[in-house]
Amino acid sequence: MKWSSLLFSAGAAAQAGVLAGCASAVVVESEFPTPVVESLPLNVGLYYEPELKDFIHAEALPRSSTWTIDLGDANLAMLEPLYEAMFVGTLEVATLPPSASDAANIDAILSSALNRFEFDVPATSRDQFVEVWLEYRLELRDPGGNVLIDWLVPGYGKAEIDGSRESAVHRAAIVAMREAGAKISTEFLSQPAVRDWLDEKFNEG
Amino acid sequence: MRLSWSGSLLGLSAAAVLAGCSTTSRLEPYKQTDAVLEDGEGVVILARRHHATHEAEQEFVDCISDALASSKQEIVVHDSDEFQDMLYPWFEPSTAPLNVADLSELLDRPGVAERVSATGVRFVVWLDGSTDRVASGGSITCAAGIGGAGCMGLAWWEDDARYDASVWDIDQLNESGTIHADVRGRSVMPAVVVPLPFISRPQAKACRGLGEQLETFLTTPSGYGAGIGDVG
Repeated sequence: MKWSSLLFSAGAAAQAGVLAGCASAVVVESEFPTPVVESLPLNVGLYYEPELKDFIHAEALPRSSTWTIDLGDANLAMLEPLYEAMFVGTLEVATLPPSASDAANIDAILSSALNRFEFDVPATSRDQFVEVWLEYRLELRDPGGNVLIDWLVPGYGKAEIDGSRESAVHRAAIVAMREAGAKISTEFLSQPAVRDWLDEKFNEG
Repeated sequence: MRLSWSGSLLGLSAAAVLAGCSTTSRLEPYKQTDAVLEDGEGVVILARRHHATHEAEQEFVDCISDALASSKQEIVVHDSDEFQDMLYPWFEPSTAPLNVADLSELLDRPGVAERVSATGVRFVVWLDGSTDRVASGGSITCAAGIGGAGCMGLAWWEDDARYDASVWDIDQLNESGTIHADVRGRSVMPAVVVPLPFISRPQAKACRGLGEQLETFLTTPSGYGAGIGDVG
């Protein structure tokens, strides 16, 4: 009885160990730099989709473990300083469409969502890199609610596995986010719809 | 019997070391200007990260940075992460300048030249390359029994550390030159009861060689490098 009880406990402990060992959790945390870009003379209302703020990606990789990757706080940490540098004035709005008082103070509304997140952790030790792909969806609307641009912004990051795989996923996610941020801040003005709208807006003014 | 085992072990190890564990290296520096670091000027080491298949390892970038910072010339090396943050988003993998013309265009953008100037960086050293396993072979078999455990066999592998360092002069807006390093090392591991690894470290050797060359490159105005005579 004593032996069987001991064996049962050992079995349960081993099972718990295996299950715990098969789960990987990464909370992406980082400070993101303010970009060196010229600010556009616009007051922009910023709307962040609720899913963006609480984004957690969960996936069971074949021949690997179950991963949960939390990007919620990092999304805002990356996008907020980005938009503050890109526009002369920003105002976070809680709803879409914004309240009448918010709408009166802005030239446009920019909503941000994380449309896609994928990652790959190599199953064999010969592969050295973890890769992360993500895609933000930005929609710029005029104060009347008309969509001016629906823009998918990709980001790709890879990181060498030189310690734990979790640490490499963390670094690759940050590289991918920085890449997406670089695209947003450097290519926003070159979007034809944005240029047309700005031309129209400032020629009217 | 014990003498026989240890004799075999020593003999096999010696043979393996003589036949296998070796390093060959080649360094090709080419400097095409007389520019050197002046007082108050520094250098930043950055890895090229836009390739899909490879990128210079962070530990190699750190190794070169440390080698220059601790050199006899006490070269001022700016932290690469801090430099990229200060110049964000212009030195990310997809936005980093690929040639000096791109750099010149970048410095014309509002605020960029001021930020670069604030760092004190005169030269940007771009590291491109990686260390890869190019060959391996042999096998080691291990077994355990009531009387004990042991391994038998021979394994070997060959790593190639191949890097290019391109030096850009931010002040003169030109490419000062390049240094190519190619270090290949073969490691062997004979096993007679106990595996004995004889490891060759080509990446560390490439770092040492490239670091020394870069130190000379950045502080010696003339008479340096294979190509210096080609430039007026």
